[in-house]
Amino acid sequence: MDQTHYLIVGASHAALSAVHAIRLHDAERDITVVTRDQSLPYSPTVLPYVVSGRSAPERVFLRNEDYFTRLNVKYRRGAAVRKVRPATASVQLDDGEEIGFSKLLLASGAAPALPPIPGLAGVRFHVLRTLNDAIALHSVLPKTKRALVLGGGLIGMHAAENLAKGGAQVTVVEIQPHVLSGYFDADASGIIEKVFATNGVRLLTSSQVTTLAGSGEGCRAMLSDGAELDADLLLVAAGVAPVTDFLDESGIEIDRGVLVDDWMHTSAENVWAAGDVAQARGFFEADKIINGILPDAVGQGRIAGMAMAGDAGAKPYAGGVPLNTYAFFGQQAMSVGVQESALDSSGVEVYRQVDAEAARYLKIVLQDSRLAGIFGINWAFDPGVMRELILRRIDLDAVKQPFLDAPQKIARVLMSRNWR
Amino acid sequence: MSAVLKPKSKLIVCDGNEAAAWAVAAARVEMVAVYPITPQSSLVEYLAKFVADGRLAAELVDAEGEHSVLSVLQGACLAGARTYTASCGPGVAFMFEPYVRTPGLRLPIVMGIVTRDLLTPQSVWGGQQDAMSVREAGWIQVYCESVQEVLDTTIMAYKIAEHRDVMLPVNVCHDGNYLSFGAARVELPDQAEVDAFLGEKDVNWHVALDPRRPMAVDPLTGGAVGSGPATFVRYRKGECSAMQNALSVITEVHEEWGRRFGRTHAPLVERYRMQDADYALVTIGSMTGAAKDAVDAARERGEKVGLLKVKTYRPFPVQAVAAALAQVKAAGVVDRSVSFGWNCGPLFQDVIGALYHAPRRVAAMSFIGGLAGADITTGHFDEAIRRVAELAQGAAAGGTVWLNEKD
Amino acid sequence: MGAFETISFRPENCNGCNDCMIACAQAKAQSDDAARSRIQVLSSDGSYELAMCRQCGDPECVHNCPAAALSKDAESGVIDWDASKCVDCLLCTVGCSYGGMVYDVDAGHVAKCDLCDGDPACVKACPRGALKFLTTARIYNEVGNLEDLFVPGLAGCQGCNTELIIRHAMRRIGPEAVVATPPGCIPGMGTVGYNGLTGTKVPVFHPLLTNTASMLTGVRRYYKRIGRNVKVVALAGDGGTADVGFQSLSGAAERGEEMLFICVDNEGYMNTGMQRSGCTPYGAWTSTTPVGERGRGKTQDAKNLPLLMVMHHCAYVATASTGFMEDLYDKLDRAIEASEHGFAYLHVYSPCTTGWRFPSDQNIEVSRKAVRTNFVLLWEFDPQSGLRLTHAAEDPLPLAEYVMALGKYRHLSEEQIAHIEGTIAQNVKFVKGLAAGVPLAAAPA
Ligand SMILES: Cc1cc2nc3c(=O)[nH]c(=O)nc-3n(C[C@H](O)[C@H](O)[C@H](O)COP(=O)(O)OP(=O)(O)OC[C@H]3O[C@@H](n4cnc5c(N)ncnc54)[C@H](O)[C@@H]3O)c2cc1C
Ligand code: SF4
Repeated sequence: MDQTHYLIVGASHAALSAVHAIRLHDAERDITVVTRDQSLPYSPTVLPYVVSGRSAPERVFLRNEDYFTRLNVKYRRGAAVRKVRPATASVQLDDGEEIGFSKLLLASGAAPALPPIPGLAGVRFHVLRTLNDAIALHSVLPKTKRALVLGGGLIGMHAAENLAKGGAQVTVVEIQPHVLSGYFDADASGIIEKVFATNGVRLLTSSQVTTLAGSGEGCRAMLSDGAELDADLLLVAAGVAPVTDFLDESGIEIDRGVLVDDWMHTSAENVWAAGDVAQARGFFEADKIINGILPDAVGQGRIAGMAMAGDAGAKPYAGGVPLNTYAFFGQQAMSVGVQESALDSSGVEVYRQVDAEAARYLKIVLQDSRLAGIFGINWAFDPGVMRELILRRIDLDAVKQPFLDAPQKIARVLMSRNWR
Repeated sequence: MSAVLKPKSKLIVCDGNEAAAWAVAAARVEMVAVYPITPQSSLVEYLAKFVADGRLAAELVDAEGEHSVLSVLQGACLAGARTYTASCGPGVAFMFEPYVRTPGLRLPIVMGIVTRDLLTPQSVWGGQQDAMSVREAGWIQVYCESVQEVLDTTIMAYKIAEHRDVMLPVNVCHDGNYLSFGAARVELPDQAEVDAFLGEKDVNWHVALDPRRPMAVDPLTGGAVGSGPATFVRYRKGECSAMQNALSVITEVHEEWGRRFGRTHAPLVERYRMQDADYALVTIGSMTGAAKDAVDAARERGEKVGLLKVKTYRPFPVQAVAAALAQVKAAGVVDRSVSFGWNCGPLFQDVIGALYHAPRRVAAMSFIGGLAGADITTGHFDEAIRRVAELAQGAAAGGTVWLNEKD
Repeated sequence: MGAFETISFRPENCNGCNDCMIACAQAKAQSDDAARSRIQVLSSDGSYELAMCRQCGDPECVHNCPAAALSKDAESGVIDWDASKCVDCLLCTVGCSYGGMVYDVDAGHVAKCDLCDGDPACVKACPRGALKFLTTARIYNEVGNLEDLFVPGLAGCQGCNTELIIRHAMRRIGPEAVVATPPGCIPGMGTVGYNGLTGTKVPVFHPLLTNTASMLTGVRRYYKRIGRNVKVVALAGDGGTADVGFQSLSGAAERGEEMLFICVDNEGYMNTGMQRSGCTPYGAWTSTTPVGERGRGKTQDAKNLPLLMVMHHCAYVATASTGFMEDLYDKLDRAIEASEHGFAYLHVYSPCTTGWRFPSDQNIEVSRKAVRTNFVLLWEFDPQSGLRLTHAAEDPLPLAEYVMALGKYRHLSEEQIAHIEGTIAQNVKFVKGLAAGVPLAAAPA
């Protein structure tokens, strides 16, 4: 049985961030990274651009072989973990091979969740999570005339835009009244929807596909309002779920994702989890949440790596702050923190400036004079600085009006005075 | 001294200072540091000239004072060089600080002392007060009688100093004015023979300033706690036993010299006409020549007088002195310097200390002469022999006799 | 991971003219619009703040980029942005908490400072010295990888800069060296070791207070003779240099012995309890120039040892201060190099937290003030180029800023301060005169 000190399942953001953190502290002990992918590490986030052709697949890798050699990391591709056995400190791969570990990080991320739509199993459809998914989509794009995207979340919208840019006639079906409802309110989503519409993407909100059936090369979808839609490409982007199937018999505590404490440690000894697979404390809520975003995968990976290596400089997880940057058709939307609806209403103030015509939008949510959320479309501010204001719970009372008038500038001044 | 001319040796006429310089060349000394001082100056000039002429392949440092002279040699020796310097009088006094440190570092530096009296009164002439003043600093001290002995002993000094049982610096003392400037016929030994005699230099195997063997040379040592006291004692005792080892090493080296070069010098003490002597003179250095003449004359007159010359003064050959004098009734010790606290000569002090080891009491008295360049003539020695004869017959020793008091 | 060059900002020098931003916008965006500058100076309540890329050591923007468009250049430390890979996702702007990674609307993608290839336009444009391009990282990079030739845990006083000086100097000089540390703080803090142990990884000797230069002469000369290039280095205090050590120093310098003599000048016999030395300045309290009913500190000026060394026609002489490390390093380099062919003398000022009586966290500040008030003049000399001031003596800070920072001057009367001011003025005049003069080598015989 192969034995390694650090074993890391997954090779994406959380995993790479952990490797980096471990090596900053421990230059010596073995690290083995296993991924079920056949390629070098890449980010799921970049995949829409592989679909559109903007990014060449061979240029999206986050690390090269040399990196792993230099850091003395064993990088194993095509190695999917089938079982984890904390009791014997070992894992089993799909081919039956066992690897023993001293410390294990679960960074297996998330995978597309398939909605229970009758007929789905019978039709040819795509998802977008792996590089192979993206390459497959890219290769069918030239032949695609009509594309149907199930789901108006971030992945669906990214994909829809890039399919459109690739020349397809795209329809997005979203069950909620608005797209991107996880990050934006109705006003903001409305502006985004308008831009999509202007660019020829059809958005069917408050709408649902009830059944699917094959039709020639493509499929036919029945919608909740009775309409029918024919498409030669179907992309299912109706949410993701943490990849935990291989943990079934492990005894590790799982809710929706793998439950972790503030050091990303799971319920099992010497086992940590980080990234999209982990369910950790939220910054705003008591419950543990899955904050399935790239920056949190990086942050959690670092904490896990430091904890695994015994780095005394590690700081506990501050809690997940939802955030996103969203560029679409040359416009930008940014969302940092939570909407007022996610807060109990005491001490909450909401300020908004909306100019739907110019596609400009700003909303600031304060609670007890501290920033809870800031959302903008085509409005300049630094999301990283805003996130820091939230995490540090900087009191804005003394600068409230200036902040509301010029959030970018005042946030930068506060940055310079508080954590420069 | 019996001279059998070896085939490849060469005869020259030179004074003691030049003879020392020839010895330095023959010993293939690599680093010489000098500072001129009367009556050593010509020695330094010979060295410089020998270097300039290519006869002495040494690095020459014209330092800005004797203190630096010895310091330069310490550095060079720690780096691995065979080293030489010479000084005298105030020069020795000035270098006292590095001087006292050299034996503790166990550096086999050879330094001539062209003996000179110390100030004050201001004086630039011979006398052994300089060398005697540093007799307890841990250097080996040997005193020469002749120009040839200066040459031979300076070469031998390296073999003694670098001997692994010794590893101590050596002063080869020759009397200022008398030996420094007195010319004599000397034999220069053959270089190949000297090379064979000295062998490979061996100077810093034990302590070095060399990046290839990094070490802290002379860290702080001692104190009242930890390993300090024991470590310090270990170093001091090491020096003392090396000093004692030197007695036999000096003897062996002199014997080997005699075998190789056909010229023998008494290593520790020389017994002259001591066989049936009733009493004896004890001398040191160049005065011995005149003293021997006086002894010869007294013997002509039928007086049973002998002479004991001390060559090796540090370490003091206690057993050899005690054994040689055990047979006589009285001894007169002639010094060219003063031990102020005892109001006698320092050699006298040592001799009476050694006589403590003799099986019976030997009467002894102290003579001091030849201070600041004064002559000790055969007349002075005749007087001394007369006083010692009286002593042998039971007269009271009386105080120290100052030989030049009425000159 | 090394250290890198960086832009520093002194808000107290800034008046908000925006010249830097215009220069950046012009250089990077061919625009006069300050908003497009990658350096943003923000005025707020009469003071100025800065937002720009910090070229972080472990940059979060790089970690956050899904397209491998960002990378930290191992050589320059600059975080490079590759336009051909960027997919405009803006996740890097989430990673940056300094406002250094910003979406440029007109360009249609993120923009960030790239330090203009080591010659930043903003710094050049700043008319008030508020921006400075710090190149000190070079020192850290070069020296950081060199072996520290002293053992850890030398027992210097808290806040003393001597350890800084000797550790850095020896790293630079390297292991092919023999070091001599005459009695004083340097061996006192353990460099020579105790009872059979050593404090140094190179051969080290604890010479006499008096003979450092001489014994190093012997070491160097012998190695040279046998064809080995071993550097010899003195790490001495001012007593072992200027007072009792001066004769051997002077002799070795006159003979042009090849060595590097570093004097760590703490202006007195600090190791033995803070007694006066020839380098103790006028008015200073020491334990042998005490302050009392009649005593008001030392009644004579310090001797100017480095100038005395200039008069020895050394291959190199310089004064240096740990308040100006770049300068110190340049001089150290030149001194090492000069010591290969002649006598090199480096005089480094070492404020003594214990003996000068100031808080132990103030050492570097005190070093700086000494220079900024002209109490200490920084210059260098070699026979070919003569003497050159390396820190302008114009516009000095008031002397009080320096002397009042130190307990040893707390008793000074106005007359005494005036005396020191007079001495400084004379020194400045004299050194400037030398600096303006003909190089010694070119002077007619
Ligand atoms: C199309 C798309 C667009 C996105 N856009 C954004 C965006 O704009 N902003 C944002 O913040 N986030 C975005 N995300 C989400 C972001 O990509 C994820 O949050 C992030 O990739 C999570 O990183 P992770 O390391 O936790 O897991 P993942 O990136 O999911 O990586 C999981 C790794 O685990 C490996 N693995 C899984 N199971 C096994 C097994 N059993 N054995 C071995 N290896 C296994 C996989 O091969 C992979 O290497 C997007 C995601 C997608 C798909
Ligand atoms: S905007 Fe460009 S550089 Fe920034 S994270 Fe996205 S791809 Fe990387």
